[in-house]
Amino acid sequence: MSSDSKKEIGVGVFFFIFAIAYMVGASKISTFTPFGNRGLDSRSVPELLGILTIILSMTYMGQVWLKERKLKKILKESGADSAQAGDQKETTATPESKGTIVSRINSVMPVKLILSLIYLAVYTALYQPLGFILSSIFFLIAESFLLVNKDERKKWILFIVLFSVGVSIFIYFIFTKYLTLVLPSGILG
Amino acid sequence: MFHMLSVGFASVFTDPTCITMIFVGVMVGIVFGALPGLTTVAGLSMFLPVTYVMSSHVGLAMLTAIYIGGISGGLISAILLNMPGTPASIATTFDGAPMARNGEAGKALGIAVFASLIGTMLGVAVMIFAAPMLAILTLKFGPWEYFSVTFFALTLIASLTEKSVVKGLLSAMFGMMIATVGLSPTDGTPRFTFGSLQLSSGFHLLVVLVGLYAIREVLLAASAKEQEVKVLEYKMKGLGFGLRDLKGNWFNLLRSSLLGLGIGILPGIGGSTSNIIAYSMAKNASKHPEKYGTGIPDGIIASESSNNASIGGAMIPLLTLGIPGDGATAILLGGFMLHGMQPGPLLFQQNGPVVYSVFAAMVLGTIFMAILMWSGMRMFVKILKVPNHILIPLIVVLCSIGAYALSNRVFDMWGLLLFGFIGLMMQRFGIPAPPFILGFILEGSLELNLRRGLEYSNGNWLDVFTHPISATFLALTLGSLIMTIVNNHRAAKKKLAQGVEN
Repeated sequence: MSSDSKKEIGVGVFFFIFAIAYMVGASKISTFTPFGNRGLDSRSVPELLGILTIILSMTYMGQVWLKERKLKKILKESGADSAQAGDQKETTATPESKGTIVSRINSVMPVKLILSLIYLAVYTALYQPLGFILSSIFFLIAESFLLVNKDERKKWILFIVLFSVGVSIFIYFIFTKYLTLVLPSGILG
Repeated sequence: MFHMLSVGFASVFTDPTCITMIFVGVMVGIVFGALPGLTTVAGLSMFLPVTYVMSSHVGLAMLTAIYIGGISGGLISAILLNMPGTPASIATTFDGAPMARNGEAGKALGIAVFASLIGTMLGVAVMIFAAPMLAILTLKFGPWEYFSVTFFALTLIASLTEKSVVKGLLSAMFGMMIATVGLSPTDGTPRFTFGSLQLSSGFHLLVVLVGLYAIREVLLAASAKEQEVKVLEYKMKGLGFGLRDLKGNWFNLLRSSLLGLGIGILPGIGGSTSNIIAYSMAKNASKHPEKYGTGIPDGIIASESSNNASIGGAMIPLLTLGIPGDGATAILLGGFMLHGMQPGPLLFQQNGPVVYSVFAAMVLGTIFMAILMWSGMRMFVKILKVPNHILIPLIVVLCSIGAYALSNRVFDMWGLLLFGFIGLMMQRFGIPAPPFILGFILEGSLELNLRRGLEYSNGNWLDVFTHPISATFLALTLGSLIMTIVNNHRAAKKKLAQGVEN
């Protein structure tokens, strides 16, 4: 089975499992029908969604499987040479379809992506205890430093630090004084 | 209607704050549209918290201005960088970039701005006249009609956005399942809250939207390798083009605008689809299709007029039915809700003045867009050079404020992170986001109207077919699904046959 098909089957499996878990959750919803059940109760629609998702996910897995079988059959019939050509074709055809950004992403290891997610989680966790200004300064410095090209880090470091401090304080005062939003003040109180 | 419209115009034109905010909004929109990797949705998400405290007509005017600027701004990078700033201007690169390389960048920009102006104006004009009339019609909708229209919108978007209808439908189901978290409609039973008080109010629409679109987008841009931006040199005198450049293109302009308008009305797809379809349509209808792609005005006009006309189109179902036409209008829906308004049939009756002032703001925004693009191109080109490592962290911080300020809780920021992650995974596995969003938005009204309808009819499901409007929409749903499946099947067969031949 090609890696593409495996990925697609994975999509089907995910939705199948998710829908089963959802159905279990739905069965625990309490219902309230004091005047007799004339229509649907609060459990019906989630159950309907769950069942439909199970059916759809199975259909999808079936589709992928059938397609894979058909492809194999054709490749067998047309011999090994063209099979190779077909394989090559498949691999060259997929990545370009989503435009430049996606293809660029595929070419780099998404370490930056994972780190960005972690930074964002830490930022969220510290938002309330540290307060907006401090947590934002840390986040802005860390994230900017992560994204800047390695060889240009030295050149940018001073700007990044000053910018992060300045912008965080500026945003805090603009939002709390002029736009009357409440942002956590944290340890700076 | 004309009276209301004049009141709307008066309220915008006599309010200096409103005019300023529209101006700022258009500028922000153009910048976000022009930056490759960041789209209008990120711009809208970033500026949402700024509009929280504004009066509703100013806040919404600013958001629509960002929308207009965003769709138009994409043309700058499409022409000067050969990189579409937003998906809405992909087709602009086909002829815009070659034209710029031929030393006619100024002309390409000028024509593109002109086409954007005409496209937006036409779309907005049709919206101004059609939306109130449609609203009168939708006012007569009962629960069954509502249910059927919503159902139609959901299946349509699932089949339009993805090659596999089943995958699109799965995405819609996923969104609907997430929407059931919280208290149920009509009887307020807690569902999937796991005893958590935070979860009992469910996930806020804006948290889901900003997470799924903006945070995902930003994270993706973060992981993309930063590229040295090379902007082509250009000279633009006056408007950048002469009337003779448009010779033979007036019909193309009109056709592409109308096409963009029509596509904009369909749920879930907007400028990002219409520009490509309009381009290929113009090419097919042209007497000299071989010249397309070499840098002729025809291609730029088709792409830029159609994507901008989609703006007005996408606003029509949003205002009259509460069904957003694309990602940006979904955020606008959130904006309306934040200001205590529910887009739908009653909007024109309950909040008429605000709606008409939004109309006026869109007209003014369109004019600002053209003026800013013609006169301030040099400034926007400079902004293209702002590096991602400065911009991206800042967007994240502002989006977080937007989420936090919804109800002053960090819980919503966690939601942002969760949906950003879900968005990333969906992208990775090729699951389209628009059906998810529409499913999430529409689940509530779908369930509410289904339950109401069944209560009115004493549990009789067949009652839905006895209402002409709802029966028609259900038939359309079935028709569109069958058509998509048949078309996909044919396309797959053709592809397979071609594969064997090769």
